[in-house]
Amino acid sequence: MDGNKLQSIPKPILYLLLILVTTIPLFADLSVPNKPQDAAIDLYAELMKLEPGSTILIASDWTGSTRGESKGAFRAIMKILMRRGVKVAFYSSADPQAPRVYQDALTELNKEHVAEGGKPYERWSDWVNVGFFPNAEAATNGISQDLKGAFTGRKDFPPGSVPKDVFASPVLEGKEKVEDFKMLLVITASKTSNITVERIYGKTPLAFAVTGVMVPETQVFYQAKQLVGFSGGLKGVLDLETLLETGVNYPDKATAKVKSEKYDTIEGFPGKKNKGQGTKYYPTLHFALAFMILLVVVGNVGMIMSKRQAAAGGAK
Amino acid sequence: MLAQVEVPTFWSEPYNSPALWTKLVVALLIGLAVLVGLMYAPVRARRPIVAVVTFFSGLYWVMLYAWPIPINRQDNQLPNGPVEAVGFWLKDSNSVIVSFTQILTALLFGLGIYSLLRIHLQRIVKTQRDWGFSVVLLACMSLMVFFGYADWNSRLGERGAMLDNPANWGFVNFGRDFLFEGLLQQMDAAMFSVIAFYILSAAYRAFRVRSVEATILLGTALIVILSLMGAVSGLWDDTIRSAANGNTFILNFQLTTIADWIRNTFQTSSLRGISFGVGIGLLAMGLRIWLSLERTGGSA
Amino acid sequence: MAGEQYLDTGWFGMLVTLLLAVFILVNIRRAKGGKDLFIRRIAGLNAIDEAIGRATEMGRPVLMVPGLSDTVNAIAVQAINIFAYVSRIAARFANPILICCYNAAVYTLAQEVIRDVYQQEGLADRYDQDSVRFVSDRQFAFAAGVSGLILREQTAATFFMGEFYAESLIFAETANSIGSIQVASSTEATQTPFFIAACDYVLIGDEFYAASAYLTRQPVLVGSLIGQDWGKMMIMVLLTLGTIVNSFTLTREVTSEKVDGVFNTIPARKAKLDDSPFNQLIKPSKPKIIVERPIDPTKAAPAAGGGN
Repeated sequence: MDGNKLQSIPKPILYLLLILVTTIPLFADLSVPNKPQDAAIDLYAELMKLEPGSTILIASDWTGSTRGESKGAFRAIMKILMRRGVKVAFYSSADPQAPRVYQDALTELNKEHVAEGGKPYERWSDWVNVGFFPNAEAATNGISQDLKGAFTGRKDFPPGSVPKDVFASPVLEGKEKVEDFKMLLVITASKTSNITVERIYGKTPLAFAVTGVMVPETQVFYQAKQLVGFSGGLKGVLDLETLLETGVNYPDKATAKVKSEKYDTIEGFPGKKNKGQGTKYYPTLHFALAFMILLVVVGNVGMIMSKRQAAAGGAK
Repeated sequence: MLAQVEVPTFWSEPYNSPALWTKLVVALLIGLAVLVGLMYAPVRARRPIVAVVTFFSGLYWVMLYAWPIPINRQDNQLPNGPVEAVGFWLKDSNSVIVSFTQILTALLFGLGIYSLLRIHLQRIVKTQRDWGFSVVLLACMSLMVFFGYADWNSRLGERGAMLDNPANWGFVNFGRDFLFEGLLQQMDAAMFSVIAFYILSAAYRAFRVRSVEATILLGTALIVILSLMGAVSGLWDDTIRSAANGNTFILNFQLTTIADWIRNTFQTSSLRGISFGVGIGLLAMGLRIWLSLERTGGSA
Repeated sequence: MAGEQYLDTGWFGMLVTLLLAVFILVNIRRAKGGKDLFIRRIAGLNAIDEAIGRATEMGRPVLMVPGLSDTVNAIAVQAINIFAYVSRIAARFANPILICCYNAAVYTLAQEVIRDVYQQEGLADRYDQDSVRFVSDRQFAFAAGVSGLILREQTAATFFMGEFYAESLIFAETANSIGSIQVASSTEATQTPFFIAACDYVLIGDEFYAASAYLTRQPVLVGSLIGQDWGKMMIMVLLTLGTIVNSFTLTREVTSEKVDGVFNTIPARKAKLDDSPFNQLIKPSKPKIIVERPIDPTKAAPAAGGGN
């Protein structure tokens, strides 16, 4: 076999094989064992610590392009918050599409939440949309220095009424500064996570839900304890979905599926619809990664064969 | 916006008051004077004018960072002395200055639309190469603007919250949903998905054992990739745990442990180092721009 | 003592920042004074002339993308500076250029800068207004537009410098597929591996900021670069000192603990990282002291627990 051929498989063939490898597993109901990472366990624990009726800020900075990861993370996080009755004030600063995208996802999720017997998660009383801020650095600076001033003039929709000032809603009632929120959670695929750490760290607990490619740089902040936890990529989404099902050290440390030395018992929500994108797409990721490893091996085998053939040809 | 600020400060006056109108008129006159002055200023004076404006614009942010923030300030307190007075003023000004920045950034959207219209209308009028695509672009842009604006407008009334439920949608809401959710979001996702193919071809082409460094890179990447595969890491870790038989040294060879060690030692520290360098570079660049030491264009 | 309440609120971070600024300004002064300051070789920047020469031989254009900055920030300005140099070389060789801008303000700046470059070279007639383009301010629309341009124009040399995100690999692979020589740099560390896998030359981290100094050797830029290096050395010293002090602290027991800026006596316990003098120096505490100030009679008293 010619080593050069192994090194230069035509791209159309590679791409066709990738399509097959990633689509066929979607038709099979596969499950993969998963051990949640510490960062995801910490994020889950912090979200479960929030008292019902408390308020957090969420910076929703993702759009349709990263919905494979970000939408899964958003849904998993919102399931926890909805089930625990935590109020949320949403804002966006990365992309003008972001508010519409998360609201569509929230509508969809709310239907599921009501269908499984949950109390409707209502706009105005449970969550508000503060809106989009065109300049992320300035907006985050403003939120850090003077949240009331930064959100002044922003309106949202109470049911059956014309839009009203967001501070009139039960979600933001009495909130004057960022320290008044129990947490600031950034769901993003861009640099708004870095911008938030630079400007708001130390004022309120920070947590991120980022795409897979951003995990290394987010790890830096997590390791330095600037973040209370984070979810990274599809693995992070799967971790959150696993924790939604199993809890941590739940029902007890001896029989728990997910154990952690750091925490006492943190309950899960067994019996509810916890599986989502993470569970559905993770087996596909396995096959795609395995295919990539196989191709790398084939390429290297081809390179070694070429060198030997060249050496043998030279010796002749 | 200023009228809704509860506590009057230097930047705000009561709604419709003589003081508010005076400040607005004075600000407008100053702005016009500056604009006219810049237009008729001698060419040699433009650089110093730009330098002065840049310096004072940046000075606020430098002072906001550097000046002592008043500790435990209550809303009804007055400053203790001139130092705290400056601190109070800086804090009170922040929301207004941030609003200026937001407005300027929002203006850029308008500038972007103007640029697109100028380029593509020109192409259509002069029937230059690919002018048909310019027609498509402008048609799509107009459609999205129409439906987007109409949808937003329909949500301003009392029925606004009801429109969160698709059962209450009208024609413009369906139109917006089709264009935004049905087309734009799917196209965005498709473009992002294309990256998967490029990652595959780049990995296939680039990951070769050509040198010692390349081998180390490949080996490390392999370990991290395998650790992301739950089936593989689960099997590997279980094998190590049963082989270890309580021996803590052997337990270090679990795949997830090795991968965590790579992340926490090499990866995190390297990224931190790069971040330090980039941060200092950004500081230096910002300082040069602020003090107008930077000559944009880099003439040789 | 006047201002005593500010003693424990992050003065050390302020001092380090000030020192960094002083290092930069002092070295700018040194460079302007004629001192010859050394910069090490950066392969990616040496390749610029080679890349443009290759493009000229092949009769194909040079493409430049100054990143996806949302505004005219320091990164965008730096990218435009580098492209001004590239354009100057291309202008001398009468090689067509294409600069694709993501942001309308960056587009405006790039137009002015590149026009000035051609005028400075005395080649104003060679300047094509359409060579600087605003493509789109949507990430993937921009990626699709630029990829299309690369494939249609068959660019021989491509330069990607500035803020890049997920679209970096789209650009790099598209240019690679047509055999274009590529020099790239992203300020986002997460995108650097993609550029390394697909591009010929990559500037990593702050080599991007060193580029304009390296190419033009202007005293201000070279001096600033040396100042940055002094800053990095200062940080290395602090890291080493911090490691030593923290390691020593962790071996000891402590009998006092700092809470809200005040030291409280506690039963002896093993020291934690937070007890290290270095940690306390770097992490400002928030003293819960009440500061007496005059009251404004026109304003209402705050609710209990107010204030920052």
